[in-house]
Amino acid sequence: MSQKGDLFQKIEAATPALRRYARALCCGAGSAAADELVQAAIEQAAAKVRAREPSDGAAARHCAYRALTALAREKCAGLAATASPRQPAVVHALADLPYEERASLLLVALEGFSYEAAARIADTSREAFVARLMRARAALSLLDLRPSAPSDGARRAGGHLRVVK
Amino acid sequence: MTPPPSVQEADLHALVDGELSAERRRDVEDHLSRHPEDAALVEGWRRQNAALRAAFEPVARETPPLSLRNAAVRNAAPGAAPIETGAIHWGRPSGPSRSVRRLDEARESRRKRAFLSTAAALLVGAALAAATVLAFTRPPTPSGAATPVISAQSYVDRADISYRTYAPDARPVDFDADHLAELAAAQWRRVGFACAPDLSGVGLRLLGGRVAPGLKGPAGFLLYETQDSARVGLYFERAEPEKAARVAPRVDQSLTAVEWRGAGMAFVLIGPLGADAMQESAERAAGEILAPPPGEAKRR
Repeated sequence: MSQKGDLFQKIEAATPALRRYARALCCGAGSAAADELVQAAIEQAAAKVRAREPSDGAAARHCAYRALTALAREKCAGLAATASPRQPAVVHALADLPYEERASLLLVALEGFSYEAAARIADTSREAFVARLMRARAALSLLDLRPSAPSDGARRAGGHLRVVK
Repeated sequence: MTPPPSVQEADLHALVDGELSAERRRDVEDHLSRHPEDAALVEGWRRQNAALRAAFEPVARETPPLSLRNAAVRNAAPGAAPIETGAIHWGRPSGPSRSVRRLDEARESRRKRAFLSTAAALLVGAALAAATVLAFTRPPTPSGAATPVISAQSYVDRADISYRTYAPDARPVDFDADHLAELAAAQWRRVGFACAPDLSGVGLRLLGGRVAPGLKGPAGFLLYETQDSARVGLYFERAEPEKAARVAPRVDQSLTAVEWRGAGMAFVLIGPLGADAMQESAERAAGEILAPPPGEAKRR
């Protein structure tokens, strides 16, 4: 029983980070929507804890992120139009990414998960996950740093590298 | 000695994300020193990471809203107990036996008569009280303007009542701008939240604030003043998070209200300015309220 209490606490402790991840997934579209997602994700993770699925604090945390990623997929999919103009450029670029790529980038760059853990959270294989991450970063470089050079879109520096799909 | 495997794009990402073994990392860093265009790629991705973190780090430093505190444990409580203890099952109390029931019926009829006379007395009293309440809540008819019947069913309605009550007053606030600490203390105590956003950037000077009646409990009410001595109120009360429309209805001919939710509260900015000015002020206020505490870098 005390182990469950510990796991609940671990999920609680992840709340600020979950809120950050949710807000970023929704591209800053507003704290209310993001917080609703976090609440639903926490409830699902708590249900898993009660069903004795996660074995330790890290697994409990992953449950919460997994639930949040799945829930946000429906909610945040079509958000590009609603990112307010007062958001920084990177948020707009984020909003233009397909959902899976956005989530992959955020799990690694913002939340600091390893590729292995992030792939499990995103419910996919490590190879597929890394491919999404690479596409996300490529798209972000095009959108952010070189908006006025469309010809660069077809080419990436380092042509001698083999791009692993 | 076999040469190390060639460095591929996936390796560059792995370098940025700390996924390489120490030996492989040395290979990749060596490669970067010889291929500046790849080094530029890596540098670009690191800058993306930094931009993402800068944009969203403030969220992680906020205190989570009340709706999320103990969210995990709260859901555990109802379902957990019977399974955990397993020993005692608290069922419904069973009905009384027949002989006891007869006695109960006798008592019941006596009780019923007493109850009816009490009820009658109470009803008369309630009717009187209701009539009094109605008489007092109908707002006094201002000269010339139509009297709106305000049935307070929303935070906007409550904000409207507070605005009409306090804004026209020569001394509209309990705590003026020199006593913001006491205002904050009172609001924390009564409302469960305090804020005093600086809206000087949109031409609103904070006059001060008070605790006001809210929809379901005490609410905070701040008053600001423009250069033209128009007054704008900021009302806030604890509320469930909800997708409330951000652009608000005009409350009547002369007032505009903008409602939003955040940090476990509902906020209403209400005043006589135009819709655009009110919207901009509301966004400014929302940003101030949800922003990290002063002293840390603000990024908007």
